[in-house]
Amino acid sequence: MKLSRLFMALITFALIALAFAQTPRNETVIFDIDGGNVTAPTNFNWMVPGTARNQGMHQAVWEPLFILNYETGEIMPYLGTSFTANESLDVWTLKIRDGVKWADGEAFNADDVVFTLNLLLGDETMTLGGAADMQQWVTDVAKVDDLTVQFNLKAPNPRFQLDYWSVRIWGGIIILPEHVWAGQDPFTFTNYDPAKGWPLGTGAYKLTSASETRFTYERDDNWWGKDVGIPEMGISGLPAPKYLVWEVTGAEENKVQLASQGELDSIMDVTLGGFEAMVANNPNIEAWVDGMPYVWFDPCPRQLSVNNMVAPWDNAEMRWALNDLMDRQQIIDVAYEGTTIPSQTMFVEYGGLLPYINAITGAGMTLGTTADVEKGKALIEKNGYALNSNGFYEKDGKVLSIEIQTHEAFIEKARIAAVLVEQYRKAGIDASTRAVAGATWDENKRFGNYEGVLDWDACGSINEPWNSMNRFTSRFLKPIGEASPGTNNHVRWSGANNDAYSAIVEKIGVLPLGDPSIEGMVVEAYQHLYDDMPFIPITQARKLVPFDTTYWTGWPTQENNYNHPATWWMSTHQIIHNLKPTGN
Amino acid sequence: MATISANPKRKISRFNRFDNPWLNPFLITGVFLIVIILLGAFIGQFTWDSDLALVGNSPLKQPPVGVSHTTLRGTSVGTWEHPLGTDGDGRDMLAVMIVGAPRTLAIGFIAAAAGMGFGILLGFMAGFMGGRVDDVIRIASDTTITIPSILVLIVIQSVIPVNLVGMALLISAFAWPGPTRLIRGQVLSMKESGYVKMARISGASTFDIMFKEMMPNLIPYLAASFIGNMQGSILAAIGLEVLGLGPQRVPTLGKSIYWSVQLSGLSQGLWWWWGFPALILVVIFVGLLLINLGLDEISNPRLRQKVE
Repeated sequence: MKLSRLFMALITFALIALAFAQTPRNETVIFDIDGGNVTAPTNFNWMVPGTARNQGMHQAVWEPLFILNYETGEIMPYLGTSFTANESLDVWTLKIRDGVKWADGEAFNADDVVFTLNLLLGDETMTLGGAADMQQWVTDVAKVDDLTVQFNLKAPNPRFQLDYWSVRIWGGIIILPEHVWAGQDPFTFTNYDPAKGWPLGTGAYKLTSASETRFTYERDDNWWGKDVGIPEMGISGLPAPKYLVWEVTGAEENKVQLASQGELDSIMDVTLGGFEAMVANNPNIEAWVDGMPYVWFDPCPRQLSVNNMVAPWDNAEMRWALNDLMDRQQIIDVAYEGTTIPSQTMFVEYGGLLPYINAITGAGMTLGTTADVEKGKALIEKNGYALNSNGFYEKDGKVLSIEIQTHEAFIEKARIAAVLVEQYRKAGIDASTRAVAGATWDENKRFGNYEGVLDWDACGSINEPWNSMNRFTSRFLKPIGEASPGTNNHVRWSGANNDAYSAIVEKIGVLPLGDPSIEGMVVEAYQHLYDDMPFIPITQARKLVPFDTTYWTGWPTQENNYNHPATWWMSTHQIIHNLKPTGN
Repeated sequence: MATISANPKRKISRFNRFDNPWLNPFLITGVFLIVIILLGAFIGQFTWDSDLALVGNSPLKQPPVGVSHTTLRGTSVGTWEHPLGTDGDGRDMLAVMIVGAPRTLAIGFIAAAAGMGFGILLGFMAGFMGGRVDDVIRIASDTTITIPSILVLIVIQSVIPVNLVGMALLISAFAWPGPTRLIRGQVLSMKESGYVKMARISGASTFDIMFKEMMPNLIPYLAASFIGNMQGSILAAIGLEVLGLGPQRVPTLGKSIYWSVQLSGLSQGLWWWWGFPALILVVIFVGLLLINLGLDEISNPRLRQKVE
C-alpha cells in the first residue's frame, strides 16, 4: 500500500504541476472537458463540423438567445427577450435585449442575427452547423428594427424557438458578429486573432490562452450586463469567478487524482467507482443526487447505429437479430455499474416524453431488457447463415461479422461496445470493436464509412417526440460517400417503411405542441421504424457529474435545481453566474 | 587468459575453462523465470476457464482471495472463485494473466524473430558482399534507427486496427537495424579469418559461406541480440497497449493497465487490477535481462572469466 500511495502521490504531483494555473486558485473555476485533445485549439469557427466549441467558448464567451430550464420546462430569456409566433406558427418574431454589446463595444443587434441566418441559408453544402436545420424551415429573415427580427418559415413550426435557439441540448446556433465575419469565407475562417480580440463574444469572459489541452478565460469587467444583468434569470452584475479554465484531463485516473486534491471544480462524467474514490479523498465533492446512483440523465440515449446500406445489415431481419441478441441489463451491470436503465424506445425517458413512450410500448413495440438469443439466432439462420466449426455464422464462405466503431476518448461507449461484442460473439457473430480518433469517428458517421457505431444520434427530443424522429426522415438520406447533414439519418435508413415514416413525421412537425392527434401519429410512425430497426436503442445516458464545493458553491443539484448540471453545454453561462466563492 | 595464468593466486569466480558455459547462472535463472510464466500459462489453459478473461464474464471489482475491499457501498471479500480478483469490467485477473502473459511474450517473440530474420539477411549481405550493397543497407539501417519508432507506431495503430501478429510485425519493422549493424560488424571481421578464406578458395558459394560457415559462429551473438530485441519489442508493445492501442478484445498485460488507468483502478484501491499485470511484466523483463546477460557471457568468454 505504501508503494501505491507513493505512486499516487507522484502522479498527483505531476498532474497538479500540469494543472496549476498561474491564476489564484480561489478566483479560478476549473472545468474538466472530455473528448480528447482539441486538435485545432486556435480554430474558433464553430460552424465547421468537428471544430470544438465546448472548450469554454459556448459556456463563457458565446451567449445564447434563450436557455431552456430542464427543471421547469420554461424557456428563459438571455440575449433575446421574446420569440413569438403568429397564429399559424410560420412567422416568428425575435426581440433582442437592449444594451447587449460584443466585447469590443459594438452593439449586438438584428443585423448580426440576419447576417448569421443568411450565411446559413446560403450554404449550398448544408454542412455548416445549423445550415441543414435552417434550410429545412426558414424561407428568409428580415430586420424589423435594431432589436427585432422576423423569421418567415416554410411551414408552421411550433418548436422553432425551442429547437434551435434555447440550448435544448448541448448548444444551438450561435449568432455571429457581422463586423468580424462579413467578407470571410465561412468554411476556412478560423475566427482567431488575439490582437483584434477574436474570437469575439458577448459573454462575461474573454479567451486568454488556448492549447490542445487547456483553455483559459478572464472576466471582462466591462461586460454589457454588469449593471443591468439579466433579471429574468436572476443574473445581476458580474459573475464572481475572475478566471475560468477548461482542461482536457483525459483518463479517469487523472480526473480522480485532480478532484481528490481540489484541483478540479467541475468534472464532466466519471464512473461510480471513480466518484466514490474522489469523495473518499475530498468530502467536499457533491453530485446531482446526494446518494445512489448520484446521476443525472443526459437527454441523449446510447444506441448501436447500424449502416443500413452495408450488407448484410441492409436487411431489417439481420438488424433485428442484433437487437434480439443484445442483453441490455448486462450492459448496465458491467459498463454502468448498475447506474442507468435500459432504453424502451429511441427517446430519453423524461416526463414530457413518457406518454409517447408508454403509447409505443403499449402498442406492443417493446425492446427486451435481456437477450432473446434463440429468436436472434433464428433470424440469422432464416437468412441463410449456418454455424461453422469456429462457432460463427457463415454464408457462401463469408463469416457473419460486424465491426463497431467507438470514439477513442469516450470510454463509456467503448465499455458498452466491449460488452456488446462478447454478447454477439457468444451468439455466433464475429463482432469486434475499434476505437477511432474523434474526428475520424465523426467523419465515418457522416460519410457512412462503418458497419456499426456506438453513438447517441437519436438525441433531440426533450418534451415532444418530433425532433428525434425528424432526424431519421428521408429528407436527410445520403448515399455512402456523401455527408449526412448534421449526422441526421447517418444510418442511411431508406425504403417503404422510411417513406411512410417520413410522411407521418412531416405531418407531426407542423402540429401545435401537445396536439392530441400527435400521440397516435407517433405510434403509427414508430411502427415503421420498429419494423425496420434502423438503429438499436441500448440504454439511457446517465451522467455522474461531480462538483467540488471547496472553492465554489452554487452548483446545480437536485436540491438546488435552478437548471441541469451539464457544464459542457451552452447553458453553463447560468451556472457560472450562480457560483459563489467559499472564501477558501 | 594470460592475466589469469600470470597469477596463480587469482581464481576464476564462476567457471573454469572446463565448465560448460551454457550452465551460466544468469541464463539458468532467466530461463527459469520465463519458463515459470509459460508453464503457468500452459497449465492455466487446461485448469482455468480462459473465457473469464473477457469482459463481463465475472463479477466486477472482486478483491483477491483473503483480501477485502471497502467502498461507500460496502465491503467485498475475495473468494477462491476468483483467486486474483476481478477488474472493473468483469474480467477474472487469473484468467487475464493466463491469457495475457503468453500473448505479451508472443508479441516479443514474433517481433524479435521477424526483426532478427531480416537483420541477419541484411547484415550478412552488407558485411560479406560489401560495395554498394553495403552502402545501401548501412544507410537504410542508420536512417531507420533514428526514427522514433514508438511515435510512428502510435500513428499507424491509431488508424489501422491490428491483431496481435499485426502489432508484432509492425514493431518488427523497427527491430531490424540493430541486428543488421551487429551482424554486419561481426561478418566484416570474420570474413578475413582463415576458414572463410579457405572456404572461398574451395569454391563454396556465397550463400554457403555466409550461412553454413560463418553463421554457426555467430549463434551466441544472435541469441543475445534476439533476447535484447524481444525486450525492446515487448516494451514497445506494452507502451502501445497502455495507450489503448493494439488488440482490443482479448486482454494483454498492457491493455489491463490501460483499463485500470482509464477507470481509476489506482485511486479506487483496486491494486490487483494493475498490480498483477505489472508484476508479471517485471518477472518477464527480469527473466529476459538475465538470459541476455547469460548469453552475453557465453558469447564473450572474457566476461565470464572475471577474476576476484
